[in-house]
Amino acid sequence: MECVVQGIIETQHVEALEILLQGLCGVHKERLRTHEICLKSSPNLGAVSSEVRILCDLEQPEPTWTVRHIGGAMRGAGAEQISVLVRTMVESKVSKNVLRLFYALGYKLDHELLRVGFSFHFQRGAQITVTVSSVNKMLKLHATDEAVPVTPGIQLVEVTAPASAESYSEVVSAVSSFCEYLAPLLHLSKPGISTGVVPTAAAAAASLMSDGGGTPL
Amino acid sequence: MPLKWVLHWQPNAGSTVNSQILSEVSQCVESINGVKEGRWRATLTFYKPHTREPTQASEFPRDFLGISLPEQPSKYYLIIRGQRIVLEADSSIQTLMEKLQSYKTRVALYFDGFQYQLGDFQLRVGKVVPTHSENLRGIVMEVEYLPISSMEKGRQVMEEFVDIWQEALSKRSLPGHFVHIEPNFADYGLADSYTSQHSAVQYATVMAQLIATVQAVQSMRN
Repeated sequence: MECVVQGIIETQHVEALEILLQGLCGVHKERLRTHEICLKSSPNLGAVSSEVRILCDLEQPEPTWTVRHIGGAMRGAGAEQISVLVRTMVESKVSKNVLRLFYALGYKLDHELLRVGFSFHFQRGAQITVTVSSVNKMLKLHATDEAVPVTPGIQLVEVTAPASAESYSEVVSAVSSFCEYLAPLLHLSKPGISTGVVPTAAAAAASLMSDGGGTPL
Repeated sequence: MPLKWVLHWQPNAGSTVNSQILSEVSQCVESINGVKEGRWRATLTFYKPHTREPTQASEFPRDFLGISLPEQPSKYYLIIRGQRIVLEADSSIQTLMEKLQSYKTRVALYFDGFQYQLGDFQLRVGKVVPTHSENLRGIVMEVEYLPISSMEKGRQVMEEFVDIWQEALSKRSLPGHFVHIEPNFADYGLADSYTSQHSAVQYATVMAQLIATVQAVQSMRN
């Protein structure tokens, strides 16, 4: 399981967000360059149609591969009241021929993306990961060198933390309280519920850029 | 890692495998000074496509299997023999495959037995049984040569060892013998230096042989 919230930020304010995150997390950012290949099952395969994501980490000297399945979100009155999405997520590091295997099993390419940006991993009530990335599409199959932004001038911010059925409520509160620190720059909400950019972003970014993130917002 | 050969018991025509043979094989290892060290177990699962109509299954691979090996407990190996694909994955891939609901377990088998140390060799002798019963389906034997990891460099010493082993076993006049079939690892994209992916491919090959043997016996009876 994982807890997740997403938001968007204008590229011009990303540097300020980076300064803020650096100050909050106390760790160095990691560069992010991930080729994400989304596959869907053939029409005749499976009790239900299924989707799987193949991720290739292009930042490593030798690209590493991960396969990820994102399941349904937790439902019910309790789940609706919280501002964080709790969903099942399973991933597995795999050898580089993973794409060939899934094609052979009857999965077909649905779409592919290239995410470029940075991430912070830190412990703050939960093992939180913040990724800030521009999402790019490929004009030609697998041509990551010729990728173009899907939304020019806008970057995606995602906050995730692993959770379990027992621990998710603590993880939800850890993620929620962390998100409050970012509120002047961006608003984070459950995926699929877009709240747009926040009006205070420019002023907050200017403040952060002028004092390097030293002053609490 | 050290190279390994996986052998399987090939019964003589008209005979079948039984637990008496397994017991004799184990005794034979001890008679050549193999020191019993402990149990080992590998698990092999055959998957079948989950299709809405049974006729649609032919569109998807029928020889898709997964293997967990004691030498790499945190890993799981997925193999499609027909297409010469072996994938190494974290063992969480089993949960992921369950979530996808696109393939389900057809049958799962244990390779279960004892490990023996014999000089620079490690031997493992085990029975092949379904996970939910004790019906013996076959006997396997792993021969591992600890000092060498190159398949080519180790070939001679492995051949010599297996010859000695076959000779020792032949004195017991059992109705069959061990067979080593070396898959073409290069077809799977595997190099000369031994890895657990080589083990997974060998188990998949052994399994295909065991199935072929069972089918041959059944067709003779029919």
